[in-house]
Amino acid sequence: MSKSLPRASGYFRTSYADELPLVQTTLQRLSLKAVLLALLVFPFFATSFQLDLACQVFLAAIGALSLMLLTGYAGQVSLGHAGLIAAGAFTAGILAKELNAPFWVTIPAAAVVGALLGVVFGLPSLRLRGLYLAVSTLALHFVVVYLGGEYETKRGYSTGIVVDPPKLGGFELIDGRLWYFVMLAFAVGTLLICLNLLRGRTGRAWRAIHSHETVAEALGIGIAGYKLLAFVVSSALTAVAGALFAYYRGFVSVEAFSLFLSIQYVAMVIIGGMGSLLGAILGAVFVTLFPYAIENGMRLLPGAEKLAGAVFAVNYAAFGLVMVLFLVFEPQGLVGIWKRLQSYFVLWPFKHRPLASGRR
Amino acid sequence: MARQPPLSRAARRRMTAPGLLCERARTTPEGVAFRSKHLGIYRERSWLDYATLVARCAKAFAGLGLKPGDRVAIMGDACEEWAVCDQAAQALGAIVYGIYPTASTPEIEYQMKDGGAVIFVAENQEHVDRILPLLDRLPGLAWIVVIDDAAMFAYDHPKLRPYQALIDEQTGNLAWLDHQARLLDPNAPAFIVYTSGTTGHPKGALISHGRHLAATLSLVECYPTLANRPHRTVVYLPLCHVLGRDVAVTLPLISAVVPHYGEDVEDFTTTLFEIAPTVLFTVPRYMQKFAAQILVGLGNSSPLKRAVYGAALRLARRYVCGRWENKVSFPIMALQGLAHATVFRPILNKIGFDALELVICGGAPLPAETMALWHMYGVNLVEIYGQTEAAGGIITGQRGPFPRPGDVGTAPPGWDVRLAEDGEVLVRGADLFEGYWANDEATRGVMHEDGWMRTGDIGEWRDGALRLVDRARDFIVTSGGKTLSPSFIENQLRASPYVAEAMVVGHGRKYLAALIEIDFDTVSDWARSRNVSYTGFTSLADNAQVTALIRAEIDRINAQLARVEQIKAFRIIPKALDPEEEGEPVTPTRKVKRAQMQARFSSLVDAMYDDEEERLVSDEIGGVLKAS
Repeated sequence: MSKSLPRASGYFRTSYADELPLVQTTLQRLSLKAVLLALLVFPFFATSFQLDLACQVFLAAIGALSLMLLTGYAGQVSLGHAGLIAAGAFTAGILAKELNAPFWVTIPAAAVVGALLGVVFGLPSLRLRGLYLAVSTLALHFVVVYLGGEYETKRGYSTGIVVDPPKLGGFELIDGRLWYFVMLAFAVGTLLICLNLLRGRTGRAWRAIHSHETVAEALGIGIAGYKLLAFVVSSALTAVAGALFAYYRGFVSVEAFSLFLSIQYVAMVIIGGMGSLLGAILGAVFVTLFPYAIENGMRLLPGAEKLAGAVFAVNYAAFGLVMVLFLVFEPQGLVGIWKRLQSYFVLWPFKHRPLASGRR
Repeated sequence: MARQPPLSRAARRRMTAPGLLCERARTTPEGVAFRSKHLGIYRERSWLDYATLVARCAKAFAGLGLKPGDRVAIMGDACEEWAVCDQAAQALGAIVYGIYPTASTPEIEYQMKDGGAVIFVAENQEHVDRILPLLDRLPGLAWIVVIDDAAMFAYDHPKLRPYQALIDEQTGNLAWLDHQARLLDPNAPAFIVYTSGTTGHPKGALISHGRHLAATLSLVECYPTLANRPHRTVVYLPLCHVLGRDVAVTLPLISAVVPHYGEDVEDFTTTLFEIAPTVLFTVPRYMQKFAAQILVGLGNSSPLKRAVYGAALRLARRYVCGRWENKVSFPIMALQGLAHATVFRPILNKIGFDALELVICGGAPLPAETMALWHMYGVNLVEIYGQTEAAGGIITGQRGPFPRPGDVGTAPPGWDVRLAEDGEVLVRGADLFEGYWANDEATRGVMHEDGWMRTGDIGEWRDGALRLVDRARDFIVTSGGKTLSPSFIENQLRASPYVAEAMVVGHGRKYLAALIEIDFDTVSDWARSRNVSYTGFTSLADNAQVTALIRAEIDRINAQLARVEQIKAFRIIPKALDPEEEGEPVTPTRKVKRAQMQARFSSLVDAMYDDEEERLVSDEIGGVLKAS
């Protein structure tokens, strides 16, 4: 069977085209509409701080989704994600600064640069696996950050490049609400690209490679091509996130792209749940909002003023602790929790699907 | 889909199924005739596609030398090719009969010899393997047509022909089929249906074209919704059974029912789930099985979910009692609506039953408990009483909606039903079978000169509706002289989710005892959830805790029975009954052959009485021994 059974009864497919729709049951369609409506209405009720958080989440989601393609589906470990974001940000920043290039040029340019870097740093994956591959992708990070740093010092922007807000159809993108919608559009676009890749031949090939390379090759899958493709697609999408980041902050500096950022993205993928796009999004939400939650939590503690200096340290420690706890107690990540929660209601009032062995 | 013109029985009697097929292909060529799942997709077959397939298949059969009056045997599970071959053979004036895919080899041999088929259509390699060893003894058999030849690469018997290749090389079309159909005599025999044969060999009931159509119309007359609205149904009953044939072949021609075939009959729970049928034709065993699975699933659910279900069920009990009387107060109705939306509908949705408007159950007696449970869940389950000899029609049927369980309803217009002095149900109507194939003696045994047909079932009237008591020959007379109906008690036993089959014995004995076949799925589920270890069916059947479980079930049932009807002892049979094995005491439709069952498990039966005597004695003296 090519596709699993729908959630509810009464949805049968009379042609293979019927297998394509992303949502099938009425309940799924209604939930999707509800989520979309909530996302569209949110900015009209949110404070500017909440809008900023939402934009950060969307940015992180783009990066996490693309890393999920690479790590969660194609099974290729990458620690160079921050480097790719930096590459995208610098591409946009440099083009905007040097050539005064508009938004609609810099974003595709960032994608192209990301794709090229993807090819270069995907090549080791053809020979290396696991830890060795991780270390080789780490090199990407340092190379990009070094080049960025060189550019900053040589051109005299030692503190960073200031990027002017992009112009969209005549007016400047400075309003938080407008940014929210731009980021939302990019995040949704990335999600759709990922979904479409994954339900097609490419996605099946990636999953096959992830499960067992030799078997995948025996099935006629071009391992080299699909591995490189995974790196290229993932890197291009990440670089776009980087370019957006540059515009959104209005400022590009190598300090922003520390190794910790790479770790954060890996954390999003792991905490969210490997091998799930929803997991990438949940992970992005969790990792982005976590420090703010800790900070708020600490403010509630008695003697909050005295603790103010320790916020950073506590944040790092708590983050590490949460990672460890997730790895030990919830290897499926947030998406595992979500699935359990969902099946509680989907299976209502049963605990397991009845008629699993329903023969005569 | 266009509404069917309301045609009378008399008009139907002058028609043939292939003729009707041509008519549908002309009037609604694009209308969906059926859907059949192939490689994950429900292929839609329009009436024109269907007729063209039948035409090509008929041409192929003609090419193989099939002549009017010849017989064609089809063996296999329900699939679209079964229906196509059936209509193709009928279109040529040949007589079709089906062989149960679960039939044992001697049964196949008997039916092949008795029917004398010249073409044997096998669904797949499995059925070819069953027929090939018999070929020497079947000189009349000219060809074996194989529908699914996927596993046939190593076979090169000269009589084998692949179905697809036969069809592909033909160029039959609607006009040709129409011409063939016009040559048919509606009064000529169309097919044979072998009765299940709980005693002796099965008898072949010969049924003619027109009478079958007219008889099947009785279903539409009783349940007008079948023709008034487009309906989805799922085909999974064997097509060699008359009810299966009605659903897959005949009803689509005379009503608005669209059959859906699954990828494989074994996957029919998936098919039910995907299709969510609006009408379902079934036999009691499936309704019991589904109910058992639901009950066991709920039993393993979390306490909160169980509590919610329990509350809904208590409400449903009150609701359904009112519903049977057609007296439901508004608050109860509103609460039941809530319970349905929050509890019962989600339950039904899991098995694809939530869109059901009508479930028609026949073929064997349906336990009233099972029926009541489905009514509480909001499924409009009605019971019909039919016989193969009624040519595909029903003798009586509950009209509903939500009829009170316990009877089998009233006769459709045009049928006369009365009870003989000894209580046997007699039927008279214009659309009965033609007689038994090559067995005039048996025909004379059931058909009276005055047109009344004996059914062999003992019935009684209750509030104008027929209630079936038992098969005439199955009554048990205990040594105390009490005459008891075993099927009534057996039905109560079968209503338990853990009992798959039960046979009550006690003829000439002091009390009643029962042989129990446990339901492997539900009992193994139960065992797992209680950490009872087992290795297979036999070890489960042997297990003391399982025996205790069944004893508790029987005690519960005994509490509702009169003293003489109570089961005083029971044994669990050590293996599952499998009709495919030679000499098994069940028919291919899993009806128990009582005499054989008793002979097969005679040691168990005797032990039930011996052991009991010993126990009684030891009970008597037990106190004495302890005292001394």
